[in-house]
Amino acid sequence: MEPPQAISLMLSNVETIPGHSVVSSLGLVTGSTVRAKHIGKDIFAGLKNIVGGELKAYTELLNESRNEALQRMMADANSRGANAIVNVRFATSNVAAGASELFCYGTAVVVQ
Amino acid sequence: MDSELVLILTYIAVPLLFTFAFPVFSWAIGRWYQGTLLNALNEQEKQQNAAFGGHLVGSTSSKMTTLSAQSSVLLHTSIVVGPSMGQMFFMWIKSIFGGQLHSYDVVIQYGRREVIRRLQEQATHLGCSSIVNLRIETSTISFAKNQESKTSSMEFLAYATGIRN
Repeated sequence: MEPPQAISLMLSNVETIPGHSVVSSLGLVTGSTVRAKHIGKDIFAGLKNIVGGELKAYTELLNESRNEALQRMMADANSRGANAIVNVRFATSNVAAGASELFCYGTAVVVQ
Repeated sequence: MDSELVLILTYIAVPLLFTFAFPVFSWAIGRWYQGTLLNALNEQEKQQNAAFGGHLVGSTSSKMTTLSAQSSVLLHTSIVVGPSMGQMFFMWIKSIFGGQLHSYDVVIQYGRREVIRRLQEQATHLGCSSIVNLRIETSTISFAKNQESKTSSMEFLAYATGIRN
Protein backbone atom coordinates (compact mmCIF):
# COMPACT_ATOMS: atom_id res chain seq x y z
CA MET A 1 0.00 0.00 0.00
CA GLU A 2 1.32 3.42 -0.94
CA PRO A 3 1.82 5.69 2.04
CA PRO A 4 -0.73 8.50 1.99
CA GLN A 5 0.54 11.92 1.15
CA ALA A 6 1.95 13.66 4.17
CA ILE A 7 -0.60 15.97 5.71
CA SER A 8 0.65 18.88 7.72
CA LEU A 9 -1.63 20.32 10.36
CA MET A 10 -0.75 22.54 13.27
CA LEU A 11 -0.30 20.41 16.35
CA SER A 12 0.20 21.33 19.96
CA ASN A 13 -0.16 19.65 23.30
CA VAL A 14 -1.49 22.76 25.03
CA GLU A 15 -5.12 23.87 25.08
CA THR A 16 -4.79 26.20 22.11
CA ILE A 17 -2.55 26.72 19.14
CA PRO A 18 -0.25 29.48 20.42
CA GLY A 19 -0.49 32.53 18.18
CA HIS A 20 -3.92 31.53 16.83
CA SER A 21 -7.43 31.46 18.16
CA VAL A 22 -9.72 28.48 18.08
CA VAL A 23 -12.90 29.02 16.06
CA SER A 24 -14.65 25.68 16.40
CA SER A 25 -14.07 22.24 17.79
CA LEU A 26 -14.62 19.12 15.70
CA GLY A 27 -14.21 16.42 18.31
CA LEU A 28 -11.73 13.75 19.24
CA VAL A 29 -9.37 12.37 16.64
CA THR A 30 -7.15 9.34 17.15
CA GLY A 31 -4.37 7.56 15.37
CA SER A 32 -2.65 4.34 16.26
CA THR A 33 -0.23 1.80 14.94
CA VAL A 34 0.94 -1.57 16.22
CA ARG A 35 4.53 -2.47 15.57
CA ALA A 36 6.34 -5.70 16.14
CA LYS A 37 10.05 -6.02 16.49
CA HIS A 38 12.30 -7.21 13.74
CA ILE A 39 14.06 -10.47 14.55
CA GLY A 40 17.41 -9.24 13.26
CA LYS A 41 17.12 -6.10 15.30
CA ASP A 42 16.15 -8.18 18.29
CA ILE A 43 19.32 -10.24 18.05
CA PHE A 44 21.35 -7.07 17.79
CA ALA A 45 19.50 -5.57 20.75
CA GLY A 46 20.30 -8.71 22.71
CA LEU A 47 23.97 -8.19 21.95
CA LYS A 48 23.70 -4.54 22.91
CA ASN A 49 22.24 -5.64 26.23
CA ILE A 50 25.68 -6.95 27.19
CA VAL A 51 26.75 -3.36 27.79
CA GLY A 52 23.40 -1.66 28.22
CA GLY A 53 22.66 1.89 27.13
CA GLU A 54 20.63 3.05 24.19
CA LEU A 55 19.17 0.53 21.75
CA LYS A 56 19.25 2.66 18.61
CA ALA A 57 17.38 0.22 16.38
CA TYR A 58 14.39 0.34 18.71
CA THR A 59 14.57 4.10 19.14
CA GLU A 60 14.35 4.51 15.37
CA LEU A 61 11.60 1.95 15.01
CA LEU A 62 9.44 3.60 17.65
CA ASN A 63 10.02 7.13 16.35
CA GLU A 64 9.08 6.02 12.87
CA SER A 65 5.94 4.29 14.13
CA ARG A 66 4.94 7.24 16.24
CA ASN A 67 5.20 9.50 13.22
CA GLU A 68 2.89 7.13 11.39
CA ALA A 69 0.36 7.24 14.23
CA LEU A 70 0.52 11.05 14.09
CA GLN A 71 -0.02 10.93 10.33
CA ARG A 72 -3.14 8.79 10.80
CA MET A 73 -4.47 11.17 13.41
CA MET A 74 -3.83 14.09 11.08
CA ALA A 75 -5.58 12.26 8.22
CA ASP A 76 -8.59 11.75 10.50
CA ALA A 77 -8.62 15.45 11.40
CA ASN A 78 -8.12 16.47 7.80
CA SER A 79 -11.14 14.45 6.70
CA ARG A 80 -13.25 16.43 9.15
CA GLY A 81 -12.02 19.70 7.75
CA ALA A 82 -9.88 20.70 10.71
CA ASN A 83 -6.70 22.67 10.30
CA ALA A 84 -5.18 22.03 13.71
CA ILE A 85 -5.16 19.52 16.55
CA VAL A 86 -4.82 20.68 20.13
CA ASN A 87 -4.08 18.81 23.34
CA VAL A 88 -2.27 15.97 21.62
CA ARG A 89 -1.43 13.09 23.95
CA PHE A 90 0.67 10.01 23.33
CA ALA A 91 0.18 6.62 24.91
CA THR A 92 2.17 3.42 24.53
CA SER A 93 1.04 -0.04 25.50
CA ASN A 94 2.22 -3.59 25.10
CA VAL A 95 -0.58 -5.32 23.27
CA ALA A 96 1.23 -8.61 22.73
CA ALA A 97 4.62 -10.08 23.41
CA GLY A 98 7.17 -8.19 21.38
CA ALA A 99 4.66 -5.76 19.93
CA SER A 100 3.68 -2.31 21.12
CA GLU A 101 0.81 -0.10 20.22
CA LEU A 102 1.61 3.55 19.74
CA PHE A 103 -1.47 5.62 20.13
CA CYS A 104 -2.05 9.33 19.93
CA TYR A 105 -5.17 11.38 20.32
CA GLY A 106 -6.21 14.98 20.34
CA THR A 107 -9.00 17.41 19.65
CA ALA A 108 -9.47 18.54 16.08
CA VAL A 109 -10.17 22.25 15.82
CA VAL A 110 -10.43 25.00 13.28
CA VAL A 111 -8.17 27.94 14.08
CA GLN A 112 -7.65 31.36 12.62
CA MET B 1 42.27 -36.93 47.18
CA ASP B 2 42.98 -36.05 43.60
CA SER B 3 39.65 -37.35 42.31
CA GLU B 4 37.89 -35.40 45.08
CA LEU B 5 39.47 -32.20 43.82
CA VAL B 6 38.33 -32.99 40.30
CA LEU B 7 34.81 -33.63 41.57
CA ILE B 8 34.74 -30.32 43.43
CA LEU B 9 36.04 -28.54 40.35
CA THR B 10 33.52 -30.07 37.99
CA TYR B 11 30.44 -29.78 40.15
CA ILE B 12 31.05 -26.57 42.08
CA ALA B 13 33.80 -24.38 40.71
CA VAL B 14 33.08 -24.64 37.01
CA PRO B 15 29.30 -24.02 37.25
CA LEU B 16 29.98 -21.13 39.62
CA LEU B 17 32.47 -19.68 37.19
CA PHE B 18 30.00 -20.01 34.33
CA THR B 19 27.25 -18.42 36.38
CA PHE B 20 29.23 -15.45 37.59
CA ALA B 21 31.90 -14.88 34.95
CA PHE B 22 29.57 -13.52 32.27
CA PRO B 23 27.48 -11.27 34.53
CA VAL B 24 30.62 -9.84 36.11
CA PHE B 25 32.15 -9.28 32.70
CA SER B 26 28.95 -7.70 31.40
CA TRP B 27 28.57 -5.58 34.53
CA ALA B 28 32.15 -4.29 34.31
CA ILE B 29 31.97 -3.45 30.61
CA GLY B 30 28.49 -2.00 30.99
CA ARG B 31 29.56 0.20 33.86
CA TRP B 32 32.46 1.57 31.85
CA TYR B 33 30.33 2.06 28.73
CA GLN B 34 27.49 3.78 30.58
CA GLY B 35 30.05 5.98 32.30
CA THR B 36 31.30 7.18 28.93
CA LEU B 37 27.70 7.77 27.82
CA LEU B 38 26.99 9.87 30.91
CA ASN B 39 30.20 11.88 30.47
CA ALA B 40 29.32 12.55 26.83
CA LEU B 41 25.83 13.61 27.88
CA ASN B 42 27.20 15.99 30.53
CA GLU B 43 29.44 17.58 27.89
CA GLN B 44 26.60 17.90 25.38
CA GLU B 45 24.29 19.43 27.98
CA LYS B 46 26.95 21.95 28.91
CA GLN B 47 27.60 22.85 25.28
CA GLN B 48 23.91 23.20 24.55
CA ASN B 49 23.37 25.43 27.55
CA ALA B 50 26.41 27.55 26.70
CA ALA B 51 25.42 27.97 23.05
CA PHE B 52 21.74 28.79 23.50
CA GLY B 53 21.58 30.04 27.02
CA GLY B 54 19.33 27.10 27.82
CA HIS B 55 15.83 26.78 26.51
CA LEU B 56 13.07 27.72 28.82
CA VAL B 57 11.61 24.33 29.47
CA GLY B 58 8.44 24.02 31.49
CA SER B 59 5.88 21.39 32.25
CA THR B 60 3.04 23.90 32.44
CA SER B 61 1.07 25.36 29.57
CA SER B 62 1.86 28.85 30.74
CA LYS B 63 -0.38 31.59 29.38
CA MET B 64 2.46 34.09 29.70
CA THR B 65 4.57 32.27 27.14
CA THR B 66 1.84 31.20 24.77
CA LEU B 67 0.19 34.62 24.48
CA SER B 68 3.20 36.27 22.90
CA ALA B 69 3.81 33.37 20.52
CA GLN B 70 3.95 33.74 16.77
CA SER B 71 3.61 30.06 16.02
CA SER B 72 4.12 26.71 17.63
CA VAL B 73 5.16 23.20 16.77
CA LEU B 74 4.66 19.83 18.42
CA LEU B 75 7.97 18.27 19.43
CA HIS B 76 8.29 14.62 20.23
CA THR B 77 11.21 12.33 20.65
CA SER B 78 11.86 9.03 22.31
CA ILE B 79 14.73 6.83 23.36
CA VAL B 80 14.93 3.13 24.21
CA VAL B 81 17.46 2.23 26.86
CA GLY B 82 18.28 -1.04 28.52
CA PRO B 83 20.44 -2.07 31.42
CA SER B 84 23.28 -4.48 30.82
CA MET B 85 22.77 -8.18 31.49
CA GLY B 86 25.24 -7.99 34.37
CA GLN B 87 23.20 -5.21 35.97
CA MET B 88 20.05 -7.26 35.56
CA PHE B 89 21.72 -10.25 37.15
CA PHE B 90 22.95 -8.32 40.18
CA MET B 91 19.61 -6.62 40.43
CA TRP B 92 17.97 -10.00 40.61
CA ILE B 93 20.24 -10.84 43.56
CA LYS B 94 19.62 -7.42 45.11
CA SER B 95 15.87 -7.87 44.82
CA ILE B 96 16.09 -10.57 47.49
CA PHE B 97 16.97 -7.87 50.03
CA GLY B 98 15.25 -4.91 48.42
CA GLY B 99 16.49 -1.36 48.77
CA GLN B 100 17.78 1.13 46.28
CA LEU B 101 18.74 -0.27 42.91
CA HIS B 102 21.58 2.03 42.00
CA SER B 103 22.48 0.53 38.64
CA TYR B 104 18.92 0.94 37.35
CA ASP B 105 18.95 4.53 38.56
CA VAL B 106 21.89 5.26 36.30
CA VAL B 107 20.21 3.82 33.21
CA ILE B 108 16.89 5.53 33.88
CA GLN B 109 18.45 8.89 34.62
CA TYR B 110 20.55 8.65 31.50
CA GLY B 111 17.46 7.92 29.42
CA ARG B 112 15.42 10.80 30.84
CA ARG B 113 18.19 13.38 30.56
CA GLU B 114 19.12 12.30 27.06
CA VAL B 115 15.53 12.46 25.84
CA ILE B 116 15.10 15.99 27.24
CA ARG B 117 18.39 17.01 25.67
CA ARG B 118 17.23 15.68 22.31
CA LEU B 119 13.96 17.53 22.63
CA GLN B 120 15.86 20.76 23.24
CA GLU B 121 18.06 20.00 20.26
CA GLN B 122 15.00 19.47 18.10
CA ALA B 123 13.50 22.72 19.40
CA THR B 124 16.65 24.62 18.49
CA HIS B 125 16.66 23.02 15.07
CA LEU B 126 13.06 24.16 14.48
CA GLY B 127 13.75 27.67 15.72
CA CYS B 128 11.81 27.53 18.97
CA SER B 129 12.68 29.86 21.81
CA SER B 130 10.87 28.03 24.56
CA ILE B 131 9.27 24.71 25.35
CA VAL B 132 6.01 24.44 27.24
CA ASN B 133 3.88 21.60 28.53
CA LEU B 134 6.63 19.02 28.58
CA ARG B 135 5.39 15.51 29.26
CA ILE B 136 7.54 12.45 29.78
CA GLU B 137 6.13 8.97 29.49
CA THR B 138 7.80 5.74 30.40
CA SER B 139 6.93 2.34 29.09
CA THR B 140 8.62 -1.03 29.12
CA ILE B 141 9.24 -3.05 26.04
CA SER B 142 9.34 -6.80 26.30
CA PHE B 143 11.20 -8.59 23.58
CA ALA B 144 10.42 -12.20 24.21
CA LYS B 145 7.22 -14.16 24.65
CA ASN B 146 7.83 -14.86 28.31
CA GLN B 147 8.44 -12.32 31.01
CA GLU B 148 11.66 -14.07 32.10
CA SER B 149 13.25 -12.63 29.01
CA LYS B 150 16.94 -11.88 29.32
CA THR B 151 16.50 -8.66 27.42
CA SER B 152 14.38 -5.90 28.79
CA SER B 153 14.30 -2.24 28.02
CA MET B 154 12.49 0.97 28.73
CA GLU B 155 11.22 3.60 26.40
CA PHE B 156 11.16 7.24 27.40
CA LEU B 157 8.98 9.49 25.33
CA ALA B 158 9.13 13.24 25.73
CA TYR B 159 6.72 15.55 24.00
CA ALA B 160 6.10 19.23 24.28
CA THR B 161 4.98 22.30 22.40
CA GLY B 162 7.75 24.46 21.05
CA ILE B 163 7.02 28.19 20.93
CA ARG B 164 8.42 30.47 18.27
CA ASN B 165 8.45 34.13 19.22
